[in-house]
Amino acid sequence: MRVLIVEDEKKVAKALRDGLEAEHYDVRVAGTGEEGFFLVNHESFDLVVLDLMLPRRDGLEVLTTLRKRGLQTPVLILTARDTVDDRVHGLDSGADDYLVKPFAFPELLARIRALLRRGRPDQILKLQHDDLAVDLVTRKVVRAGQSLELTVKEFEMLEYLLRHVGHVVSREMLARDVWRVTARATPLDNVIDVTVARLRRKIDDPFEKKLLHTVRGVGFVLRSGRG
Amino acid sequence: MRFLAPSVRVRLTLWHAGVLALVICIFSVGILLFVRARLFRGLDEQISHDLATIEKVYHEETGDLGELAHRMGITRFQVVEGGTVLYQTPGWPPAGTTPYRFGTFADASHRITAARDETALRQTLWSLGVILATGLPCAIGLAIGGGYFLAGRMLSPVRAMAETARKITAESLAERLPVENSQDEFGQLARVVNDTLSRLEEAFEQLRRFTADASHELRTPLTAMRSVGEVALQRSLSGPGYREVIGSMLEEVDRLTRLVESLLTLTRGESGRIPPTLEMINLTGLAASVVEHLRVLAEEKEQSLTIDAGAEVSATCDPAILRLGLINVLDNAIKYTPGRGTIRVGVRETSSGEAAIEVEDTGLGISAVHHGRIFERFYRVDRGRSRESGGAGLGLATARWAVEVNGGRIELESEEGKGSLFRIVLPK
Repeated sequence: MRVLIVEDEKKVAKALRDGLEAEHYDVRVAGTGEEGFFLVNHESFDLVVLDLMLPRRDGLEVLTTLRKRGLQTPVLILTARDTVDDRVHGLDSGADDYLVKPFAFPELLARIRALLRRGRPDQILKLQHDDLAVDLVTRKVVRAGQSLELTVKEFEMLEYLLRHVGHVVSREMLARDVWRVTARATPLDNVIDVTVARLRRKIDDPFEKKLLHTVRGVGFVLRSGRG
Repeated sequence: MRFLAPSVRVRLTLWHAGVLALVICIFSVGILLFVRARLFRGLDEQISHDLATIEKVYHEETGDLGELAHRMGITRFQVVEGGTVLYQTPGWPPAGTTPYRFGTFADASHRITAARDETALRQTLWSLGVILATGLPCAIGLAIGGGYFLAGRMLSPVRAMAETARKITAESLAERLPVENSQDEFGQLARVVNDTLSRLEEAFEQLRRFTADASHELRTPLTAMRSVGEVALQRSLSGPGYREVIGSMLEEVDRLTRLVESLLTLTRGESGRIPPTLEMINLTGLAASVVEHLRVLAEEKEQSLTIDAGAEVSATCDPAILRLGLINVLDNAIKYTPGRGTIRVGVRETSSGEAAIEVEDTGLGISAVHHGRIFERFYRVDRGRSRESGGAGLGLATARWAVEVNGGRIELESEEGKGSLFRIVLPK
């Protein structure tokens, strides 16, 4: 998968490149809007990550021009402007998704995965990892043949973690996607932490092998073993 | 420029003097006309009298007309009978520079004309005119001088106020304008300006406190990040050790991010850039959903969290913003109520017909000295407790904004050691 990053802030660009390369993406970086425009026109990418505040040529302008020329590649915009108007404007200009700075890296990965997956049918009825199985239709959770009772929120959180299995999930992602809270100022971290602790008590505590891990300072991940 | 827009003092004086001059002019002309009319009428009466005497002499003793002329002295006259002059005083008709006033009596047989010198009368009028004409400029001069002086006296409080106001800046807002007489217009003006200054001073003071608090709150995670990073660099750590350090730094980044988000929401909200989208909502339902949202937190502390709602209560407000406010109030209650405490959320209609959501806890309570400032940004009852409980002191400020932007108010009833009651009151 080839990803183009258009970002003028060198540190952020390097972090994005390193992070995405660690996830086995093939990454090109453009430092200005013009360079980004040139690269998109001469090479083919599966996804463009576009910063809006670019020197000389504004990100939105680049995007509008590209879309007018019929570019189909999904574009994810990064912006420090987060008012509703800015978001609407960005999406109207042809962006497929947006992420407000400062963003959590796991969230960027999740968004990129979602954009690359787009168009493919999502008809998963059962999720499974290791000896943990979740039936999305009957809402039954079974681990090592043992049936577990989860509350609604615990179930939704487990489902979300299973859909991102192996990838770190940030608190912001949980707040937005599981609790559906859009206002980022809502005090929700305690609620999330408590729910994670309770979920862990049910799906991990009675078992030898731990699946739900906390990545300090970043979020949570569901995977077998520490690695 | 000064000429085009003269000072208030000059304008007051000129107006004053102008009106006075006009009044005096009208008055003088009136006097002149009146006196003139009176004098001429007197003269005319004398002439009529003369004519009557001449007439009498003419009828009784025509030959005595000469003697009459001699006795009457100043009066000159002529008696004409059927076209011939019967008698006329020497030098008739009077001519030359001396002005005369004439009177005539006539019937079918004869005609008598008499004339009297009117020099004295004219002189009297002239003297009166001169007196008035010299008095007028003097009066106007006095009016200008006195008016200018008086206007200056009257306006001196304004000058004093301007003098003081010029010295007032953001740094010296404690100064107040002098109030000489609190009853008159200038005194009232000064009081209004002083009230405005008081409010400004308070606003500036809040801003100063806010800036100091905000920089403190921002510096704390920055300091933590910096020291954790610097210390880690000086030591040689293993892989998990570095993970620990980076994780610890990311936690601070998280704290910083949350702080900036909350501040941004609050600042935007308070400056009116988050306009509420009002709709009729069921408050009971909203309160129940918020309670369910935060129930896990209460359960962890083994607190009893109950919702107490009778009939369905509705109000017109922005559900998302109000929800944010209520979450903050309830989160606060759970945070400051010890384990096994009780928190009650009630939704009801007040006696005055408003909708109220009450959050009552059996927590630490808030002493009355803090009631006034508890809703200010970064204000904390106990400064030391903030770090462990994780709040930045923005929760209640956010709650207040969220309620007020919906046209409501938030009230606090609390006694230290006995718990608190936060009441969100919304118009229906």
